[in-house]
Amino acid sequence: MLVQKILTRNPKAELYYDLVELFTGITLVGFLWTHMLFVSTILLGSDLFNTLSKSLDDYYLSYVGIPFIVLVFIMHILSAGRRLPTRYQEQKIIWRHAKMLQGTDTWVWVFQAITGAAIFALASIHMFVVLTGWPITATTSAGRVEAFWWFYLVLLLLGEYHAGFGIYRQFVKWGWFPRKPLGYVSKLITVIILTLGVAALWVFLQLGGA
Amino acid sequence: MSTRKFSIFRYNPITPEVKPFMQEYTIEEPPGMTIFVALNKIREELDPTLMFDFVCRAAICGSCAMIINGKPRLACKTLTSDLKGTVTLMPLPVFKLIGDLSVDTGTWFRHLSVKTKSWIHSSKEFDPNAPEDRMDNETALEIYEAERCIECGCCIAGCVTANIREDFLGAAGINRVARFMVDPRDERSKEEYFDVIGSDEGAFGCMGLMACDDNCPMQLPLQLQLSFVRRKMVSFGLSIK
Repeated sequence: MLVQKILTRNPKAELYYDLVELFTGITLVGFLWTHMLFVSTILLGSDLFNTLSKSLDDYYLSYVGIPFIVLVFIMHILSAGRRLPTRYQEQKIIWRHAKMLQGTDTWVWVFQAITGAAIFALASIHMFVVLTGWPITATTSAGRVEAFWWFYLVLLLLGEYHAGFGIYRQFVKWGWFPRKPLGYVSKLITVIILTLGVAALWVFLQLGGA
Repeated sequence: MSTRKFSIFRYNPITPEVKPFMQEYTIEEPPGMTIFVALNKIREELDPTLMFDFVCRAAICGSCAMIINGKPRLACKTLTSDLKGTVTLMPLPVFKLIGDLSVDTGTWFRHLSVKTKSWIHSSKEFDPNAPEDRMDNETALEIYEAERCIECGCCIAGCVTANIREDFLGAAGINRVARFMVDPRDERSKEEYFDVIGSDEGAFGCMGLMACDDNCPMQLPLQLQLSFVRRKMVSFGLSIK
């Protein structure tokens, strides 16, 4: 035992990290799916979209929800990100191992780590752009999509991939449901949300910016 | 008779100046040939220097685990007829390499047993003349299910975490602890169990990639065992002060 390790030892630290990873992950998946459902109200018309956006503002849900999600986002990066190896040799071991094993779940995880890092960057940009262009209306959203549709398409794909497999992995780890049906259900939900998202992007493109 | 080509990892730590390389061998393939049979044939007919492990050739001892076409498998339980093309053989990662396909799983599993204190912790004095305490059948079956582990190391070799974190006990270790947690004779407290496995070395180090579950030659229900221990560790960890 080394003195610096004895003095700083907290036997429950890793338990808390694991729980934070679980709860922040589930919260973010719940948020993302709700977010996409809200965005896709544009499919039913600009009026409904604007009314929803305004009522979220009026009831202060946006002002409570957004800082909360930002906090959860950061906590998720810290707790889930702790598992990611950064040393060259560890990276090389993982790539070699994934290629050798050809296990679906192992590859899915490798891409989850990559999408996670990408979402960290892209979602931060997305939040900055939306918050500096507050409030959200169908017109401002359409303007953003018209200018940067490829950005939103990439973020949508990365986000849904990460969320869909993330929730699958948490359920696998905690053993609440058997693996196979769990995989089907999480893929199905992901496809539904993706379809809604792409459709919403298409409608925004048709609307065009102001 | 048809022939089969093998590509086998060669390296001897005693001669580190010879870098690791893959060596090819072609042998006749009789029906029903296992990798175990093939390796013995290669050693007898082509290359007496080839190192590999085996003892029982009946999937009981767990000595002949290796990476067969990328997957951790038992050589004695894998038929060449189930594989396509050239058969590529690598030693198991994570364990200390003795040479070629031979690895030392013994030291690793010994460490696991010591670390997880794999014995029944009982304060009862043993009386050889008294009848043993009865155990209900359900509990006994649960214990036997976990005890079917032959310690071949396939779950450890397939695990990403075990490949990069030397202190991770892996599915074999967590399964072992699960076995003692269901045993009514074991008197260990929540604190003691949590201390053994309630960390990233144990239950919380698992990332859920399930290569252990996919590759266990004994088809142990490792996902269920891992998640059972994870949930137990959370309830133990949160209830102790």
